[in-house]
Amino acid sequence: MTAVQPATGQQATVHPATVQPTAVQPTALMSGRYQRAFTIAVVFLVAGWHLAGAGGQLLHNRLAYASFAFQGAMWLVMALAIGAGSVLVLRGALGWRRAWAVAVIALAASTAAAAASPAGQMLAVNWAWGSAGWTGVLVLLRRRFSELACFLAAEALAVLSVQLWDGLHRTDLAGFLAVFAWSTGAQVAVAAGVRALDVAADQAAAAARSEEAARERAATAEIISVARHARWLALQESAVPLVAELAAGTADPGDAQVRVRCAVQAARLRRLLAEGDEVPGPLVHELHASADVAERRGVAVEIETAGQLPQVPGPARRVITDAAILILTAARSKARITLAAVAAGIAVSFVADTGAVVRLPPAGEGVAIEQQQDGGMLWAEARWNNR
Amino acid sequence: MEQQVTVAIIEDHPVVTEGVASWIRSDPGQRVRLVQTARDLTGLRGTARLSDVVILDLELSGELVTAQIPELVAAGYRVVAFSGHSDPAIVMETLDSGAHAYVSKEEGRDHLVEAVLAAAADRPYVTRSQARAMLADQRPARPTLSEQERQALLLWFQGMSKASVGRRMSVSENTVRQYISRARAKYAATGRTAPSKDALLARAIEDGVIKPGEIVPYQSFARAVAEGPSLGAPGQ
Repeated sequence: MTAVQPATGQQATVHPATVQPTAVQPTALMSGRYQRAFTIAVVFLVAGWHLAGAGGQLLHNRLAYASFAFQGAMWLVMALAIGAGSVLVLRGALGWRRAWAVAVIALAASTAAAAASPAGQMLAVNWAWGSAGWTGVLVLLRRRFSELACFLAAEALAVLSVQLWDGLHRTDLAGFLAVFAWSTGAQVAVAAGVRALDVAADQAAAAARSEEAARERAATAEIISVARHARWLALQESAVPLVAELAAGTADPGDAQVRVRCAVQAARLRRLLAEGDEVPGPLVHELHASADVAERRGVAVEIETAGQLPQVPGPARRVITDAAILILTAARSKARITLAAVAAGIAVSFVADTGAVVRLPPAGEGVAIEQQQDGGMLWAEARWNNR
Repeated sequence: MEQQVTVAIIEDHPVVTEGVASWIRSDPGQRVRLVQTARDLTGLRGTARLSDVVILDLELSGELVTAQIPELVAAGYRVVAFSGHSDPAIVMETLDSGAHAYVSKEEGRDHLVEAVLAAAADRPYVTRSQARAMLADQRPARPTLSEQERQALLLWFQGMSKASVGRRMSVSENTVRQYISRARAKYAATGRTAPSKDALLARAIEDGVIKPGEIVPYQSFARAVAEGPSLGAPGQ
């Protein structure tokens, strides 16, 4: 019995130290946090490209365009598409409708800008191809790779169509292929890189998660094993040898001594089982402790309660437990302790085969003690009144 | 010699059935005869009553069977509940359903055969675990027990013999039995109606345990107030 108490104590110390961290679930957040960081990096890359790269080219070639105002307007449309796309991707995974809406706006703006560029000079003054491609990367980054490939192909096709419309020269085709290789290559490389990092972050999180789960399992197993071990120890030193003797035939159930031992162990097992499923107050707990001591001497002790027991203050509890110790010490083979809720207080009674009158401590602290001897049986009642 | 009381054991653990059968066999007067054992209640349904009393384990195959007690009682069986559950709420539910007595598995050896005999005679039988449940009862519809009845139940629950209770209360052992039986009879007069409860009450009146006027179920208090000549508004 006493061995069970350290088990609960152990539970209180082991549990917070090893198990509580899992309550925060850092692993679940981890991969999400990395993915967000990659998204932010891509947002900065795309915005930086559009502002510095495309914007710089637009200003540098401002005199070459037929209408700088139109190119500027398209640049703004692209900037708005990038802004909207950034907000959407930072909010979370994009549905295909929104992602493709942004992508199509970028494609349309870039095609319009290319079409409005002077023929023959289009590739040289084109600011929009790169921006449109990057916008596609931004919004299609976490969708299927084929979607991004389709978009980049459509973008390249649109630029090529404009060139064909303008009349394609051999040198123009070479330029197209060069820009295509450089720009689209970079965009594909970034998208693939982010994808690889996502996978790595997922794997790291999964590894951490399984490590965390393993640690939690280990901690739980330890708590269970400590409690089980304590219970096992308690039975090992008492009930198990008795059962072994009975099985081996060295203990004879016909022997009164053996029957007493059986009764004691049965009472002990009952109390072990009963203690777990109720939350007794300190008085019940203290009486259990006294019963443990008596049990070691071979006294079978029952403890029963009736009704909602009031909380008994410390000094009154001491008077009651002092009486309990005296009676249980005098008990020869069995004792019954009951705690009953009575009007305005509690009646703690003891019935035990003490054989003789037990000198009980004087009443005090609001506790009145009465006793009666009938043959070898003692009845005593400690009644605490809260009035 | 009186006629033997016949009993059936409904219990899902064969070893417990065997133990109960051995208690019945070892009764010196051979007052009880075991006529049937079963692991569930299906054998008792739809057939003529096979025994006077049923010893019923309240948990069969992991399920509480308190709800089946009224059916058994209606079929004419007297039910003695025999259970490892000592939760006062379950004990009260069992008695309210019409069971005659409640015997916990720890009390079986000393009380089961006596409880069966009492049930067959429609006489009250109160075990310590039953006294505990009656003392702990806080339901609004509980019967009003007198101070002596409460005190007798408390001392009995505490573990005293009835003779010791009598000495403690300065009354005869017989009077102690009377107090405890009267408390039990009051319970038979409250809650759900059941033929077994009516029989117990009728027998208690016949035996002089309780007078018809002493049966004061909870509801009649309100009635008394309403009918009282000088008491106008209820609650005054």
